[in-house]
Amino acid sequence: MNSYAYLLEGLTVRRVLSVTLICAAAAGAVVWLFLNTYSDLLVSALCVGYTCMVLFTVAGNIRQVRLPREVIQLFAIVLGSFLGTVLAQIIKGRDPRQMLTERLAGLTITMGLGIGVGCVVVAAYILREKHARDQARLLKAEAERHQLEKNILEAKLQLMQAQVEPHFLFNTLANVQHLVETDPPAATRMLDSLIQYLRAALPQMRESTTNLGRELDMARAFLEINRVRMGSRLDFAIEVPEPLMCRAFPPMMLITLVENAVKHGVDPCCESGSITIRAQEAAGRLRVSVEDTGEGIKPTKGGGVGLANIRERLKALYGVSARLVIEERAPRGVVASIEVPAGAGA
Amino acid sequence: MSRVSAVIADDEPLLRAQLRSRLARMWPELAVVHEMENGRDVLQVLEDHRPALFFLDIHMPGVNGVEAARAIGSRAHVVFVTAFDQYAVEAFERGAVDYILKPFNEDRLGLTVGRLKERLASRPPRIEDLVETLASRLGARPSEHLRWIKASVGPSVRLIPVEEILFFQSDEKYTRVVTCEAESLIRKPIRELLEELDPAKFWQIHRATIVNVDHIASVRRGLKDQAEISLRDHAATLVVSRAFTHLFKQM
Repeated sequence: MNSYAYLLEGLTVRRVLSVTLICAAAAGAVVWLFLNTYSDLLVSALCVGYTCMVLFTVAGNIRQVRLPREVIQLFAIVLGSFLGTVLAQIIKGRDPRQMLTERLAGLTITMGLGIGVGCVVVAAYILREKHARDQARLLKAEAERHQLEKNILEAKLQLMQAQVEPHFLFNTLANVQHLVETDPPAATRMLDSLIQYLRAALPQMRESTTNLGRELDMARAFLEINRVRMGSRLDFAIEVPEPLMCRAFPPMMLITLVENAVKHGVDPCCESGSITIRAQEAAGRLRVSVEDTGEGIKPTKGGGVGLANIRERLKALYGVSARLVIEERAPRGVVASIEVPAGAGA
Repeated sequence: MSRVSAVIADDEPLLRAQLRSRLARMWPELAVVHEMENGRDVLQVLEDHRPALFFLDIHMPGVNGVEAARAIGSRAHVVFVTAFDQYAVEAFERGAVDYILKPFNEDRLGLTVGRLKERLASRPPRIEDLVETLASRLGARPSEHLRWIKASVGPSVRLIPVEEILFFQSDEKYTRVVTCEAESLIRKPIRELLEELDPAKFWQIHRATIVNVDHIASVRRGLKDQAEISLRDHAATLVVSRAFTHLFKQM
């Protein structure tokens, strides 16, 4: 029994009161048409009204897809008017058999009035509901817009917070410290790379618009530093056609992929590994990938905040037209690629 | 004074060379008998060289400095080397173990060398507690739960972070993995996934369905004591069978 309670959902005190008032008013409005007393008419009106109300509510809650809800609700009003009229006769103690003979005219009028008033009320109700739905949809669209604005703002904040790891900085400086004594030209080269990396990586130094070329410069600087630090263990290549260098590309995403490739790919496996950055443009889309020959991703290893940040920022910037894809590389390693709509850029 | 033998472990070759040359200058009696890229062979090195002293970089791929120290125990003195580890440094300050910060500071290194010379006269201290503190502070414990799903998409194997997955649904032989953007099939059955996924995030709601609770938009009551879940950013409606509706009962 309880499982069918949902059929009566929406049958509120408010609805019952409204129907009662409408019935009282309708009975009052037609009392001059009949010989009956007002109370007699009110009983008929309430019987028809309540029956219609219950059937209308059930009709609105039935789960089916074949007919539009409004059609079923209209049918409920017609059926309700008929059943309500019969119910009124029974309550008033009249023989239902007479309904088809001497009382037919009166009953037809009661039913007709029931259907007429019912339809007007239901039409008004459906219009109001539609209005409420439109309003809700409007509010939802508004909320979605706000959410999007919030996402964009958050994405900007995340970008600002993207930090240079102190660990990386100090280790690099320790290398420079040693090279200054043993190989000054190499020390200078490493410092140059560090400066170039910091210029792009420190939020205060970062330019608001960027292109693929600049992001690649930063990635190259980072990889040069790591090649010195990791000795013979790291090798890298950048295979990006010159014309793509000026394409717009969101800041700090490529470097995150490159950092992951070093930190989670090549560094953990004790032998050597290589990293290749590629970019290609096809069908109006720019695809930039970072491939490493490292140890690959273990299913239980944390995905890292970096990748989640990239996904969120891509969503805020491009909606569904950009994506980040992580794939296994055969025979070993990972390929991470970002696809965005191709644009001329800064 | 007799010669003191030491081992240096650091994954960065230049930094090993730097420490060795600094030590040679400041502590001529010290002989660096071996160098390691990580702590993997520490027991073998201990056996072969019987060094009195280990310089261990904390962050090394494979077996890191903390794990190496745990293996060494009280069989040799240990000095940790680190570039930047706020937590580690705090732990050292209270412990009986020395540490060196990179890049090296000549004065600081001199102090450490002086202190080490004194300490070498006595037996190596017990460092178990410190090592455990370090291990926990460095967050060396990886999560046991599944974080990535490997799914074939065409010829390639895609790695999908579990945060992105809306739900898993068994589909006769396979399990469907559904994200906002795409669907793929994996062979791992729902039953196994349940054991491996984080139970705080992934709930079974049906014999055949696991949902990511982070992506649930709303839960409605449905037919016959069941419930229906609608998702954010996806049109699918998921059925919660009677056995699992208690998960969504009001608090």
